[in-house]
Amino acid sequence: MPAKKRPHGDLAASGLRGDKSGRARVRARGMARSPGAAEPPSVVLIDNEASSSSDCERTSRISQKCGISPSDSGCTVQERGGKVRRDIMDLAVCTREKLAHVRDCKTGSSGIPVKLVTNLFNLDVPQDWQLYQYHVTYSPDIESRRLRIALLYSHRELSNKAKAFDGVILFLSQKLEEKVTELSSETQRGETVKMTITLTRELPASSPVCIQVFNIIFKKILKKLSMYQIGRNFYKPSEPVEIPQHKLSLWPGFAISVSHFETKLLLSANVSYKILRNETVLEFMTDLCRKTSESCFTQTCEKQLVGLIVLTRYNNKTYRIDDIDWSVKPTHTFRKRDGAEITYVDYYKQQYDIILSDLNQPVLVSLLKNKKNDNSEAQMAHLIPELCFLTGMPGQATSDFQLMKAVAKETRLDPLVRQQHLARLADDFQRNKDARFELETWGLHFGCQMSLTGRVAPAEKIIMQDHTCQPASAADWSKDIRTCKVLSAQSLNKWLVICSNRAESVTENFLNCLRRVGGPMGFNVDRPKIIKVQENPAAFIHAIQKHVKYEVQLVSIGYYYDSIKKYLSSDCPVPSQCVLAQTLNKQGMMLSVATKIAMQMICKLGGELWAVEIPLKSLMVVGINVCKDAFSQRTMVVGFVASINPRITRWFSRCILQRTTAHVADCLKVFMIGALNRWYRHNQGLPARIIVYRDGVGDGQLQTLVDYEVPQLLSSVIEASSNTSPKLSVIVVRKKGMPRFLAETGRNLQNPPLGTVVDSEATRPEWQVRPCSACLLSHNPSFPLRYDFYLISQMACRGTVNPTYYNVIYDDNGLKPDHMQRLTFKLCHVYYNWMGLISIPAPCQYARKLTFLVAQSLHKEPSLELANSLFYL
Amino acid sequence: MFEIVCNSVVDGNVEEVPSKKVIKFNPPLYKQRYQFVKNLVEQHQPKKVADLGCGDVCLLAILKYQKCIEELVGVDINEGRLKWNGSRLSPCVGDHLDPRELDLAITLYHGSVLEKDCRLLGFDLAACIELIEHFDSEDLAKFPEVVFGYMCPAMIVISTPNSEFNSLFPCAVFRDSDHKFEWSRMQFQTWALDVASRYNYSVEFTGVGEPPTGAEDVGYCTQIGVFRRKAEAAELAVLEHHGEHVYEVVYTTSYPSLQQINYRRRVVIYLVYREVSRLKQKYQVSLRQHELEPEFIAPGNQTGKFTSDLPVPVLTEDDKAMEIAPQPFCIEDKFYVPLQRIIAYPRLGHLCGNVEKLREFLGDVIELNCDGSAVKVDLNDCSDF
Repeated sequence: MPAKKRPHGDLAASGLRGDKSGRARVRARGMARSPGAAEPPSVVLIDNEASSSSDCERTSRISQKCGISPSDSGCTVQERGGKVRRDIMDLAVCTREKLAHVRDCKTGSSGIPVKLVTNLFNLDVPQDWQLYQYHVTYSPDIESRRLRIALLYSHRELSNKAKAFDGVILFLSQKLEEKVTELSSETQRGETVKMTITLTRELPASSPVCIQVFNIIFKKILKKLSMYQIGRNFYKPSEPVEIPQHKLSLWPGFAISVSHFETKLLLSANVSYKILRNETVLEFMTDLCRKTSESCFTQTCEKQLVGLIVLTRYNNKTYRIDDIDWSVKPTHTFRKRDGAEITYVDYYKQQYDIILSDLNQPVLVSLLKNKKNDNSEAQMAHLIPELCFLTGMPGQATSDFQLMKAVAKETRLDPLVRQQHLARLADDFQRNKDARFELETWGLHFGCQMSLTGRVAPAEKIIMQDHTCQPASAADWSKDIRTCKVLSAQSLNKWLVICSNRAESVTENFLNCLRRVGGPMGFNVDRPKIIKVQENPAAFIHAIQKHVKYEVQLVSIGYYYDSIKKYLSSDCPVPSQCVLAQTLNKQGMMLSVATKIAMQMICKLGGELWAVEIPLKSLMVVGINVCKDAFSQRTMVVGFVASINPRITRWFSRCILQRTTAHVADCLKVFMIGALNRWYRHNQGLPARIIVYRDGVGDGQLQTLVDYEVPQLLSSVIEASSNTSPKLSVIVVRKKGMPRFLAETGRNLQNPPLGTVVDSEATRPEWQVRPCSACLLSHNPSFPLRYDFYLISQMACRGTVNPTYYNVIYDDNGLKPDHMQRLTFKLCHVYYNWMGLISIPAPCQYARKLTFLVAQSLHKEPSLELANSLFYL
Repeated sequence: MFEIVCNSVVDGNVEEVPSKKVIKFNPPLYKQRYQFVKNLVEQHQPKKVADLGCGDVCLLAILKYQKCIEELVGVDINEGRLKWNGSRLSPCVGDHLDPRELDLAITLYHGSVLEKDCRLLGFDLAACIELIEHFDSEDLAKFPEVVFGYMCPAMIVISTPNSEFNSLFPCAVFRDSDHKFEWSRMQFQTWALDVASRYNYSVEFTGVGEPPTGAEDVGYCTQIGVFRRKAEAAELAVLEHHGEHVYEVVYTTSYPSLQQINYRRRVVIYLVYREVSRLKQKYQVSLRQHELEPEFIAPGNQTGKFTSDLPVPVLTEDDKAMEIAPQPFCIEDKFYVPLQRIIAYPRLGHLCGNVEKLREFLGDVIELNCDGSAVKVDLNDCSDF
């Protein structure tokens, strides 16, 4: 199949995140409910006032989790539902301290400077600004967080002060006169409650706790700008973008976060869209009913609906559909919590003044997670399809080209429009009375948008067998190399084609094209044995089992990707290529389709397509990716891909399924030793240097990576040789970052040129005061935190490019930052499934491809016999 | 609601504190009181409703679902609680996706019920649930003048504890430490009748929280007076807009509704899309059936007439209306649905009123045929397959 670029950008991230947090919310609030408990009340989705955890959190739990002893420095402000934001944890992981060669300077100097506008805004804080953290106790003690906050907020003493309070910990921007302040307040019942407010810490603006408070302040401000919080982001329901033909509404909004960047505090703002579906489950069912025959309707319906997350019309809660109960109708009764029997129809009429229109609809069943986590039976909720909105993208959406195009058209904002959105937001911050007031009372000033200078790395030459070309555009050199021979290709002598009876002529046509394009490439394709079968998976598998022997080089087939790949990757390891008949039907595209398929086939046979010049003579590059298995949430797929020649054109791969939920790999030592052995066999020696690119790192797992994965890699490298062991570097690759960079060209804004590197200002802090646990105020010597940079290595044909973030967490190689950045850029050129630059280094993309194949289709380890070829392309 | 109410038991003026185990109401008494107000709303369909002493805004959170209400106001002296609870009343995602029929504005005021604010004039219903027993004698004297004399809503509902019922509770003091008094039925009714006659209201007495068997003579646990204004207060309109704004707005929100043209337009467009794609799908199915049974194809039939809707089990009035409406048709690869047919669809008819309005709503979002009488779509654009 031709290379498919996966969509990237705000869209996917925001859509997914919304769902996930929705599920988490259900889990967090899943109180015991009667089976018919469709009754959940209207719930505050939004954090109230400044505080940020969920509404009915008990204070005892808060204090437990926070640890409120005055000396405790690990205290962080609670995020929704009492969880500490994981990405903030990552910020405290410091890795640069040990990297001597970048201790003083982590920036490069080569390349042509380019002026860039960022999506970062200065947040000015006075030099001597301090945040005062207080601990509040009540006498008599009050459990209700709501009441605790209400009492404190309504007290005169504090009413005019800027404050953030979660029921236990109070933050003020102005110091109270006394270290311990006693206030008394009256409840509505007339009870006098004494509140004791004790100063526990004074925090400088750079402290991680302050960062969280700043984030809370901005949340509050966004709410004042009439935005609606979904997940972590804020959206404007008042300005929806409608795509009625696909039943979608898009709410424009922003993802915002305040954090400490290289030298100062910055607010990063990204445009984000929340995709909402204007479709109830009932509408979905009736549509489906019309499309499918009656006999298989219930089955199809269950297959399509179970597992989806729905949003209830009346109370804004999200539920996962676990089952559909066709025997229950809205006219049936259920038992309310107070024991009364009531029909669903009457219940919704009474409770929400809603009249159900369809009295024959079934009910959806959702299992509620037990809050107490004990083993008591899970509670079920019955939901009425008519009152449930579907959420997330429609199931077949990713394959629905029209839909994706319509959504992309609205959400992929080109640089100029994006900038206009940001400018409007900044304007709101500065002009809105409430927003300004909030900032002023905290003593903050919202400053201007930040510009910086990046550097553009020089373009790379593409080395073919007997020709080196400088592509006209590094984004796509398919035209430049069309007539060039690839580096090496095995000829294809013994191979099979299995096709359905109907696709016979298409197949013939394709084989002709394949031979035609193969010639100039240096890929010799002999006539295959063609087997025609019925169009069903069993027939295909049967034909494969019957005809595929070990001497066969490659099988080419159509349809039933998963089962075929599973058989041919593990049970009977033979390289295989699946092609859809409809891909071959594209008129006028035949030659370019055949070219792409030919290239994939060359790779799968162990050939090499092209190379770039690698100045380091004995370098192994490794890509590691970890992702969840599609079937089992508890299984992780770890993919490992390593180059096995100095030219970086041949690859060795391993993949394993691991039973944990953490995105941390267990088996790296074995993999690494395997790769080094393979290298040894090919090159009669060990590589001098190894650079590992680690992808698929979850939020908050950076420290685990440093503590757990790096030592695995290191020990395998050390054990590999008794004298001089290879030098190791480990780089964490992340694509989902907040910063965006736009190049200014006169009055216009564009995506920056390919190869743009940013290693200053927008990167992470160079120095930070180490949090001190013993004392409140003393400043410890600061230390370097991170060695990191951004690299833009892919072309965004639509919208704004998303820079890839590289964080060097371990580096023995001592390469200059310049060299590290150049090398990374070079590696983005050698992914053989795309004749152009890609957003991450090729080893990462290979590892990603491999884990994707295993997680989506195979669900077991691929055979070792295929380890030397790019069988997963 | 429920989760929050648990907390509010601690501080709220709710008497069925769990410690008094002897009598438990099911549903809990506070819910019965809210239910009582809700029933009144359902029965009398007021447009403007005020909850005086709204506390944790629980009652407002229940009433916001009532379709007849267009303005909902809460007043309380505890600003902190209003601020903290305000966002419980904000519209949620569903309110945007499926807007209400009528507008709804909700406002929370920080202020005392004993102060006059002209924004509280002209209401259809004012609820004072468990409010008056918190007034000392001075405030209680002021209360009727403000609520009955000044605000003068068409209907007032006042609830207060019935002290006769207290004999059934283990400790026979007041049910809440902030209560300044608790009245017997006689005391309440005397006060209520006096107030009613002074301000030209009629009053009926009832209550919630039935006494247990054997103790029927103590009456309801909560006694309720429902006051109705006797005369149409015509001169009120003059008073409006001329008074002072004493209360401070703590929270305000307005709901999307079909009265707002952008929301109505949106709903119309979605419904038209749905209807058109449904008809198209049906047509395609019928075409495929023809393919299977070729003898059905009448030669030379250029404008393939759409035969009929799928068999419907029972023909309702709506279905009959649809039957006589013009049928969709097909010319070459375009599928047309006459606007007349779309408007015959009851909900769309209700939303648009007439074809002109419908055409205006569709604007440039949905393509029409050249004379603007039918929606035109590609027959073979099978994005929904």
